Amino acid sequence: MTTADGTSLDKAAGVDVAQTTSRRSRLDDLERWLERVGDRLNPILVKETRQALKSKQFTLTFLLLLLCGWGWTFVGASMVGPGIFYGAHGRELFFGYFVVLAFPLCVVVPYGAYRSLAAEREDGTYELLSITTLSPWQIVSGKLGSAVVQMIIYFSAISPCLAFTYMLRGIDVPTIFFALVYAFLTSAGLSALALLLATFTQEKVWQVLLTVFVILGTLLVFWILIIVMLNFVNSTIDFRRWFWLGNAMGLTAYASYFVLVFLAAASQLTFSSGNRSTALRIAMSVQFLLFTAWMAWFWFYEEPGQWPLIFVYLFIGGVNWYVMGAFLTGESSQLSPRVRRRLPQSTLGRILLSWFAPGSGTGYMFVIGNYLTMLLLALFAVVAARLLQIEQPTGPGVPRRLITALPLFAILSASYAIIYLGLERVIVAWLRRRFQVSPLAPLLIQTLILAAACGIPYTIYGLSPANYGNGYSMLQATNAVWTLVDAVDGRSGPEVQFLAVVLPLVALLTVVLNLPSIAREVRLGRLLAPPRVRQEEEDLAGKPLAPLAPVPTNPWGDVPAEPPFDES
Amino acid sequence: MIASDTTIELRHLHRYFGETRAVHDVSFSVRRGQVFGFIGPNGAGKTTSMRILATLDLPTAGEALVDGFSVLEDPDHVRRRLGFMPDYFRTYANVDVREYLDFFARAYGLMGAERQRALRRVMSFTKLDELASKPIDGLSKGMKQRLCLGRSMIHDPTVLILDEPAAGLDPRARIQLREMIRALADDGKTVLVSSHILTELAEMCDTVGIIEQGQLLAVGSVSDIQARSQLRAEVHVEVLEGADGLANWLAQRNDVDKVRLNGARVVFEHDGDRDSEARLLQEMVTAGFRVVAFGSRALSLEDVFLHVTQGRIQ
Ligand SMILES: Nc1ncnc2c1ncn2[C@@H]1O[C@H](COP(=O)(O)OP(=O)(O)OP(=O)(O)O)[C@@H](O)[C@H]1O
Ligand SMILES: [Mg+2]
Repeated sequence: MTTADGTSLDKAAGVDVAQTTSRRSRLDDLERWLERVGDRLNPILVKETRQALKSKQFTLTFLLLLLCGWGWTFVGASMVGPGIFYGAHGRELFFGYFVVLAFPLCVVVPYGAYRSLAAEREDGTYELLSITTLSPWQIVSGKLGSAVVQMIIYFSAISPCLAFTYMLRGIDVPTIFFALVYAFLTSAGLSALALLLATFTQEKVWQVLLTVFVILGTLLVFWILIIVMLNFVNSTIDFRRWFWLGNAMGLTAYASYFVLVFLAAASQLTFSSGNRSTALRIAMSVQFLLFTAWMAWFWFYEEPGQWPLIFVYLFIGGVNWYVMGAFLTGESSQLSPRVRRRLPQSTLGRILLSWFAPGSGTGYMFVIGNYLTMLLLALFAVVAARLLQIEQPTGPGVPRRLITALPLFAILSASYAIIYLGLERVIVAWLRRRFQVSPLAPLLIQTLILAAACGIPYTIYGLSPANYGNGYSMLQATNAVWTLVDAVDGRSGPEVQFLAVVLPLVALLTVVLNLPSIAREVRLGRLLAPPRVRQEEEDLAGKPLAPLAPVPTNPWGDVPAEPPFDES
Repeated sequence: MIASDTTIELRHLHRYFGETRAVHDVSFSVRRGQVFGFIGPNGAGKTTSMRILATLDLPTAGEALVDGFSVLEDPDHVRRRLGFMPDYFRTYANVDVREYLDFFARAYGLMGAERQRALRRVMSFTKLDELASKPIDGLSKGMKQRLCLGRSMIHDPTVLILDEPAAGLDPRARIQLREMIRALADDGKTVLVSSHILTELAEMCDTVGIIEQGQLLAVGSVSDIQARSQLRAEVHVEVLEGADGLANWLAQRNDVDKVRLNGARVVFEHDGDRDSEARLLQEMVTAGFRVVAFGSRALSLEDVFLHVTQGRIQ
């Protein structure tokens, strides 16, 4: 606004430039600095903040929040009565304010985030946004950023009340601090999830269903948070080791899932020929690594050699990879030329990194690899504990049966997952040849597979009264739930032990049957980027990129390198 | 390598919606600095093709290139150099004209002084200066069109795709729009503009393509098409008697088309110049028809358009 015009005006008016220079230049500096900061800010954040400041809805919510805060001050104070001057009633009042604050944080903000993306997609404004040079990352973080700005404003609206409760005594600063941090994290996490949900569908029917789901879900979380916090506020924080350990573990899980949700939302918004999977797979691996590190910490230091830890590791890890696998094996196996430009090229790279490239086959192998890694790590843990003589397979509170139950559980759970996922892969591939498959469809199909494999034999069992009391039979071979429960219970009869031999073979067979199509994916060679693209990428990078080796035939030598681009 | 002069290229583009062949085997190319007019009736497939070029939709088959970049594989490169003006305008609540443009300037990565310059350039080009602080949901149709055009060129793209930019504009605004588009082309931009109306495009387009039911029926320079219209004339002949006979006689000729009988008058379209018209009359008289009136009228662009589209479809 100032710059050229400003200076010329000064000259025209004959202002004594020398005298004012230093003050002016400092102001100018500040202004320039603000502008630079504004430039760096996410465009969506800037726009939505501007919009919010002008919108009636925002003003209304804000005023309502203030009103509720004040309302509670009067109601709460009058309920306490004159005792407010003598007793320590900070807790009661704080909890009231917390409820007043938690509602907008848990319900209004995430729902707002969901609507702000869903509405753009419904109204068609998203189209124009999507063809700008904004990256999917910027779009998601912009939306998330405006949710955070709203949160901060709500926090600041209620902060005088919180200060007031502290002065009333009866509540300490750490309790207030941690309660607020938990509320903030809940709100941010829900907003990220809501954004992810908003990316899944553009169809009206699904949008309506999802909207209902988001509202009910956020209300539920609000309710849970209130209950949990009621306990938290009414007890004194025990700042011993476990408090910090619990928080650190919780934060690790929260952060890693947050990143995963964020990346999933961004990949949903990535154009269809782009790579929508590699970043997610890396995030999954890092998350698994962190989880493993925590479990190792517990196994070697915190609760050395307690066998139930292995069970926790295999159970949580197994469920996690099963759900992730449901998404990954449902990916399309058609790789766009765009994706193929960045496929690993060296032999070592191909062996290690192919599984991070998009595709259902690589996804399936990626998950199997992680299952096997998990089993090996568990085995390693047991062996290491035995060598270090910290193992306590039969300590107090450790049921003896785990010694046989754990290996059974490990083998059976991994086999079931590999079989179910392999089945899903075949079904989804078949569907993809005929229909447009939505990103949530693989999860649905995996759910159906699980329901059928467990539900059908169980129904047959339930339908014939002759079976009552007989318990487990080979009929339940496909029923992962019952089989695994029996395995862990240590009540496993010869059937389960038989399955522990047969199912790994079936799993192997499933992999072998999937192998030809997996190989087709893995054997795809790298394509050279068209010269036009390379040239522009170099221009943008401002430096020449490393020269690319010519497209090689792959290590198997059986697929001729395809023509990298159309020369015409 | 790449014909650097070609900025828009469609290669056997197909887009089907289930059974509907919205676009079927369309190929053409547009050179830098040219204005290409895309003409066709409702539902012809103009919007569909343009959305594919703008990286908003994917072709069922075929390929489209913008400045040598594939819209399928490198939409991010395409987006950097392409401005798209859709045939709708969707507003944001609580945003004024300046903020709207500012938002898109930021979204295209323009910073600081550069962004201010872009805003000034676009607002003065589209004459939006005096509307700068007007809320966008309160704009009139014509103002929205201008804002939409302004938004599509905020990042100074080299290729502009304008879907029916003239729809809903008053005559003066149409003339202004035409001048704006010409100015853009003179500035070296490549413009693809669609319309239902051939005459509307005739004055600003270097090349036009006529599309109907997803198929490209004719591509050529406006003068080509005008020449075609001069070569084709609607002829009225009145005879004293035997109009049926004349109609039959004409129907056998292959330079005559669409013979209609209108009482004693026969109306038909004739391919050929004035000279061959005179010869036709001569032959008619020689064949014994008692001609009392003979008149011809060159076809307008609209007639050519109707002719080209109907001839192919029925
Ligand atoms: N999303 C869609 N789903 C199904 N059919 C579609 C879709 N979009 C376009 N069509 C069909 O494709 C055909 C071409 O439509 P298109 O919008 O491209 O025509 P147009 O030439 O732009 O017409 P108009 O002049 O009316 O704007 C139409 O038959 C239309 O019904
Ligand atoms: Mg249209």
